Amino acid sequence: MKRTIIKVFAVCMCLALLAVSFAGCKKLEKDTYVIGVSGPLTGGNSGYGVAVKNSAQMAVDEINEAGGLDGVKFELVALDDQHDASKVETNYASMMDKGMHVALGCVTTNPCLEFAALSKTDNVFFLTPSASANDVVKEDNAYQMCFADGNQGSVAAKYVNGLELDTIGIFYKSDDAYSKGIYDQFKASLDDSIDTVEASFVGDATDFSTQIEALKDCSFIFMPIYYTPASNFMLQAKGKVADTATYYGCDGFDGIESADGFDISAIPQKVSMLSHFNSKATDGKAGEFITKYTEKYGKDTLNQFGASAYDCVYAIYNAMKAAADAGEDISPNMTASELCEILKAQFNGGFTFSGATGTNIKWQSSGYVDKEAIAFVIKEQG
Amino acid sequence: MDFLTALINGLSSGGTYAIIALGYTMVYGIAKMLNFAHGDIIMIGGCVMYSVLSAKGNPLLAILAAVVFCVVLGVTIEKLAYKPLRGAASLAVLITAISMSYLLQSVAQIYLKSGTPALSALRLEGSVNIGSFRIDYSTILTLAVTIVVMVALSLFVKYSKTGRAMVAVSEDRDAALLMGINTNFIITITFAIGSALAAIAGYLMLCKAPILTNTLGSMPGIKAFAAAVIGGIGSIPGAMLGGILLGVVESISYSIPVLAPFTEAVEFSILIIILLVRPSGILGKMRREKV
Repeated sequence: MKRTIIKVFAVCMCLALLAVSFAGCKKLEKDTYVIGVSGPLTGGNSGYGVAVKNSAQMAVDEINEAGGLDGVKFELVALDDQHDASKVETNYASMMDKGMHVALGCVTTNPCLEFAALSKTDNVFFLTPSASANDVVKEDNAYQMCFADGNQGSVAAKYVNGLELDTIGIFYKSDDAYSKGIYDQFKASLDDSIDTVEASFVGDATDFSTQIEALKDCSFIFMPIYYTPASNFMLQAKGKVADTATYYGCDGFDGIESADGFDISAIPQKVSMLSHFNSKATDGKAGEFITKYTEKYGKDTLNQFGASAYDCVYAIYNAMKAAADAGEDISPNMTASELCEILKAQFNGGFTFSGATGTNIKWQSSGYVDKEAIAFVIKEQG
Repeated sequence: MDFLTALINGLSSGGTYAIIALGYTMVYGIAKMLNFAHGDIIMIGGCVMYSVLSAKGNPLLAILAAVVFCVVLGVTIEKLAYKPLRGAASLAVLITAISMSYLLQSVAQIYLKSGTPALSALRLEGSVNIGSFRIDYSTILTLAVTIVVMVALSLFVKYSKTGRAMVAVSEDRDAALLMGINTNFIITITFAIGSALAAIAGYLMLCKAPILTNTLGSMPGIKAFAAAVIGGIGSIPGAMLGGILLGVVESISYSIPVLAPFTEAVEFSILIIILLVRPSGILGKMRREKV
């Protein structure tokens, strides 16, 4: 009797196993387009990653509500890399496991360089909202929505050249690909008639006394760094750098006004930044994005990284739709590499896009974005 | 004039390194282990100050709370993580200390979430002006605290019963045990003092640069460790000397634009040079291995 029970049990288990394996097979039949993104969702730079995740999710939800692409829905897979390049490989592998078709790459630059190398081997198309080093788009499967560091540097230099200053200060992080990239291009595009006073730091340095001493007489200080060290610099420079001076940063300044415990109104100097997104816009696509984002996630993480990610998702969607309309056969069962070739043909073939971060945005075949920059004042003097 | 300013800034950041280095060197001298979690105690102290300030506590209370919390934490870590490994291979202890460092960083990250809060209330603003020459209050405070700590610690070690017991344990633990010294108690006291100093160093860092991150202590910790080795690990005046030396070199290197990008390389090359020329450090005791 006991034997029979064991036998029945064994047969049941076998059937269960079979059922489970079939269930697994069924799942392989894909019914959504998967968009992957990796960014700092925790840790020091999480303001950027969370904004990207929220905004991309918002775009995906909107697209899905409107019926997706010919009825096929999109799905976002957002993973945490804590701005650490060594975590990207694992994230990339799990995105591939989840059937990623197309990606937003990584949010921050150093991890995205790693992502670029990985995605090249599988030929996965990615359009990064914010990883801005020139090398991020070195390969032909990579595109940027933000200005490349080299472009940020030259756009910033163009702006500074027009200010009629004799001397400017530069404060940068010499061991950081983002900061050094902008710095190099800025120096190359800056008029020879403008003298520069330079100070830099490396690693996690927080005491900037020596650097402030060098820069204290400058009326204009260019700071191509992220906002955490920048806010640290500004706090320490109070009373040393003239109150009438201007701090000018790139996209790394974004979110500085909402940094925890940092009261930007207590900084007497003017704080401004180069941008492609006006976070105080009330009309146009930027204004629309801001209203929707604030309603859904509040104001804390509203920044240009999010706006850029929102545009990225729509740009990819529009390009896929344009290709489908042109007769290309697009389905969730195609490989990432097949989709990559279709999207590349679109992006290199005169595809234009208008969104929250610019109108008539085009892409060069090098992957760099082609759009107008705007100057954005975060805080006026006084 | 610029050189003088760089020098004074260097003395000040060197003072902070020195106070951290004391923690390394005392623990090494007495427990014969490298406590790589020491730098992260600084950061935990910062987190405590942050939570006290968030609860509307005043800065003085915040500092006091940080010191007390760090002492308790340091002693607890020693009891839970290091004591069971006493007598184990030094590699096992080292790995434990490194894991402890990451554990503390991760816990702090969970606590701070995505934030890098600015503890503006701790900031010491203002400076003494002598003509165009200027010394920040925070610099003066750091130098004063460094000197007080140095003198107090030297007196403690030289004249108090516990201090002398510490010297005895560091020279020969077994012999000290035979002489009736409670070595476990001495090691606990050492961790307590080291952690209190770490909390103070944390305040000195934050009163200049008030942004708190979960890796606040890691680089200063490693630099202070280098300082302790440069000065001669196990030696209290050595740690002071090494810390000040490293701080001054760092500041001067930052003030020379060509050298500035390579500042950390410059600092750590001093360590390499010292290790080549004088492996036991500037004030370290040469010890001959008997075969």
